[in-house]
Amino acid sequence: MTRLTITSVAATIALTGAAYAQTEITMWHAMGGALGDTVNQIAEDFNASQDEVVLTPVFKGSYEETLTAGIAAFRAGEQPNIMQVFDAGAATVIGAQGATIPVQELLAANGVDFDIEDYISGVRYFYADSNGTMIGMPFNSSSPIMYYNEDALAAAGVTPPETWEEFQDTTAPALVEAGYIPMAQSHLPWIFTENFMSRHNLPFATNNNGYDGTDTKILVNNDAIKAHFTALTEWQDQGFFNWYGTGWSDNQAPFEEGKVAIWLGSSGSFGGLSQKDLGFEFSATYLPYWEAVTTEPTQTFIGGASLFAMSGKSGDENAATAKFFEYLTSPETQYFWHKETGYVPITEAAYEMAKADGYYDEQPAAEIGIKQLSLAAGENTRGYRMGFYVQIRDVMNREYGRILTGETSVEDAFQNIETEANELLERFGKTQG
Amino acid sequence: MTDATQIQTAVAAPKRKRRPIKLENVVDHGVLVVGALFMLLPILMVLQLTTVPDAEIIKNGPSLKIGDQFDENFQKAMFEADGFSGANTGVRMLYNSFILGIGFAVGKIVIGMMAAYAIVYFRLRFATLAFWIIFTTLLLPLEVRILPSYEVVQSLGMLNTFSGLIIPLVASATATFFFRQFFRSVPEELVEAARIDGAGPVKFFFDILVPLSRTMIAAMFIIMFVFGWNQYLWPTMITTEEDMFTLVRGIKQMTQVLEGASLPEFGRSNLLAIIAIVPPVFIVIFFQSWFVKGLTESDK
Amino acid sequence: MKRAGFNTPWLPMLLLLPQLTIIAVFFYWPAWHALQSSFYLQDPFGFGSTFVGWENYTDMFGNREYRKIAWFTVLFTLLVTFFSLALALILAVKADKVIRGAKTYRSLLMWVYAVAPPVAGFIGIIMFDQSWGPITEFFALFGYTFQVGVNFNETAFAMVLVSVWKQVPVNFIFFLSGLQSIPKSVREASLIDNGSANGRFWDITFPLLAPTGFFLLIINITYSLFDTFGVIDTIVKGEPGNNPMTLVYKVYVDGFRGNDLGGSSAQSVILMVLVLALTVFQFRLIERRIHYT
Repeated sequence: MTRLTITSVAATIALTGAAYAQTEITMWHAMGGALGDTVNQIAEDFNASQDEVVLTPVFKGSYEETLTAGIAAFRAGEQPNIMQVFDAGAATVIGAQGATIPVQELLAANGVDFDIEDYISGVRYFYADSNGTMIGMPFNSSSPIMYYNEDALAAAGVTPPETWEEFQDTTAPALVEAGYIPMAQSHLPWIFTENFMSRHNLPFATNNNGYDGTDTKILVNNDAIKAHFTALTEWQDQGFFNWYGTGWSDNQAPFEEGKVAIWLGSSGSFGGLSQKDLGFEFSATYLPYWEAVTTEPTQTFIGGASLFAMSGKSGDENAATAKFFEYLTSPETQYFWHKETGYVPITEAAYEMAKADGYYDEQPAAEIGIKQLSLAAGENTRGYRMGFYVQIRDVMNREYGRILTGETSVEDAFQNIETEANELLERFGKTQG
Repeated sequence: MTDATQIQTAVAAPKRKRRPIKLENVVDHGVLVVGALFMLLPILMVLQLTTVPDAEIIKNGPSLKIGDQFDENFQKAMFEADGFSGANTGVRMLYNSFILGIGFAVGKIVIGMMAAYAIVYFRLRFATLAFWIIFTTLLLPLEVRILPSYEVVQSLGMLNTFSGLIIPLVASATATFFFRQFFRSVPEELVEAARIDGAGPVKFFFDILVPLSRTMIAAMFIIMFVFGWNQYLWPTMITTEEDMFTLVRGIKQMTQVLEGASLPEFGRSNLLAIIAIVPPVFIVIFFQSWFVKGLTESDK
Repeated sequence: MKRAGFNTPWLPMLLLLPQLTIIAVFFYWPAWHALQSSFYLQDPFGFGSTFVGWENYTDMFGNREYRKIAWFTVLFTLLVTFFSLALALILAVKADKVIRGAKTYRSLLMWVYAVAPPVAGFIGIIMFDQSWGPITEFFALFGYTFQVGVNFNETAFAMVLVSVWKQVPVNFIFFLSGLQSIPKSVREASLIDNGSANGRFWDITFPLLAPTGFFLLIINITYSLFDTFGVIDTIVKGEPGNNPMTLVYKVYVDGFRGNDLGGSSAQSVILMVLVLALTVFQFRLIERRIHYT
């Protein structure tokens, strides 16, 4: 193994060249496949753009694996400088004050201008604390949007539905008539719960949706969402809606095959959809809303993941991390990321750049996510902050699955979700004590 | 499939055989052929998938068509890196998997044999206690104690090293257990004879016990090599440098797609999956006689 | 230990030392941590922590879903164990009997042993893909929509099938070894005594295989409990949802995925106790077996 060590040392030296004055930082992420290639591209470009910092991105498995590896590493003092944490893990990492340096402070301390108003409205507060200080830097930001098969809608003689009432009364029957399954979706907790609340400006949890404390109670057991799931089961019976399980791609595939006419997915899915040779024209629009619930639908918030600067690093390394964040949020990088992957650019400046470049004239569907994130805000559109949220999502997925396979009633399911989620929240509260 | 054709010829031309073909034999072969197909078909299907373009797989799935993408996928799988440093090519990951598999197998066998020898052949007051201490390690798989294990490995400075990858996995007693069973089946007269000849414990171990255990060692080697090779979760935790990635981990990096945001590289990852199973399968098939014999002997 | 042994006092210590050191450092120390954690609720990063006594345990047993998962685990274990053993036994008996191509059959039937569980699960996903999976299409021929990931029972079927596929070879190898170690004299004698092949199998072969069978029973139970983890994880695609799962997967879901260290540690401890019971049972059997052979 000696030989091996020597070769790898030699390789490192060769790679870094005369690297004595450079600061090396690492980033752990969960972007596999082509997304990982884009992350690597950004890192390479960043390293080439200056000669003070060398960033090394490392793929650490799924979101959950990345977070757990980061936690284990933090406990052992081996944490990376930057760690990618997904939406459901936000409460865990933000709750552990002292594990991370709020990105806003990091940037300010290192002389990088920061103004939260520069960010797109729906992006600003999801990874922020209750004072509105941004803790994590939004990275692969996406929002649930409605994709539709233009050919199918044309064949049925309908336009994309703006409200669920329209879908139910006009769109769906016409699409069934035209031989399509009208609708599928890919993530029930995210699309039909979290963003359902945001779209209708409904409170999702007490304590200002969980931002203001850990003695939070979930407010998921409400009439609006129960009516929505009741409608879903009815639509299932009428052939208006089909559910293909909890797996993301299982629900996306029938849309790609042209069987399903409308699919609710992520604005980030745009990249994948446009790479595939679908055999039909597709476009996208906002998530529908229930007119019966609100006549003033609000924006959605971001999903995906964000980058956290881990604490316990030297000032030099923190400065290097700040430098990378500055590079990452530059309009050029954001626009590149947006075009390559379909994830939304996080700043207004990047959005303006994409517009000025005429990108949306070619790809109008790519703009929908940003536009939806920029719709009117409300008091419940920042997001949510709940501990053990991974498990809470698991409970939702389980109960929703049972509703849609007829194993349980909507009433019982939401009762269960409420009870179990509150138990989990109470347990989480104790971990913070 | 030569045997299947042989059966057919045997059925078709019974006159060439002295032994009459009995229905029973046909049934026997039939059952075995069905069993073999049950085992084989899924892999053949994956192999087919490595020859067609990714977009086609996503649309149509497996088919009978043999495409022309194999070479390209092979190039990508073996020589192109999926990571940042360009270090984790298929070749590199293959190498790492080999080190993990072999290191794990050798470590287990050496340590297990030593411990089993001590337990079985020496008058030790605490032999039973030692045995139970060792044996209890079968109780708790690594998955459920992974966080504290990580901390230990880190505090010993063994992250991103082969020893950090291998040694914690060795901390379970499967090999010790098998060797104990085997040693206990070795006739007692051998020890007595050795003692009469004046052979000490070290000489007895190397001159008599090790040669006797040859097939058992081979069987253990195969079992442990396969086990080490197939690890996923631990290597993911313990390695952050891409030149340390193993194959089973590399496949995951390629197949992971978030929110349908990109096209999964099916062809390449399927081929890497095939490559990942070839070496252990080859070892199992190649050493099967030893393998079966080793197990047969330990089973007494 | 009745074996005539050596008396050298220091050598056995030296021989045991590497094994004992490794397991002390890499097993007992982490396991002790797990046991301790089961009485706490702690922030995973190590900042906050509350001593909660038995609460993690009472929460666990009080949870209806946990009990459901336990029942599924029992059922899953029974099914996987039974089918893996039964199929392997049939194949081993046939492979032991045929003369032509015995070695080829043997190779073809045992190689799947070497396939990594995540890879096996990955193959399972392809086989059961909802749009074009060959098995899904096979069921569609009979007008049946087979939906892995939607229907609980159908997902369970896929898990059992893939787990059995992966486990048959191991059992096959052991059964074949067992069969081949039956002395020729016994076989010849039984040939004279008992005319029918079927009768011979149940009267002579099966009892002689029983020790191997007992041993394999335990091996298979442990396999179904622990080693199917990779298969289950890939088949549910990392999102348990309303899909079936086993107790070990639940430990992973809560601890590794959800960072509930206390809760998952308590689950681990329960599993430890379960496996300890199994191990003691296994030892009773093996030790007894050695006495009567």
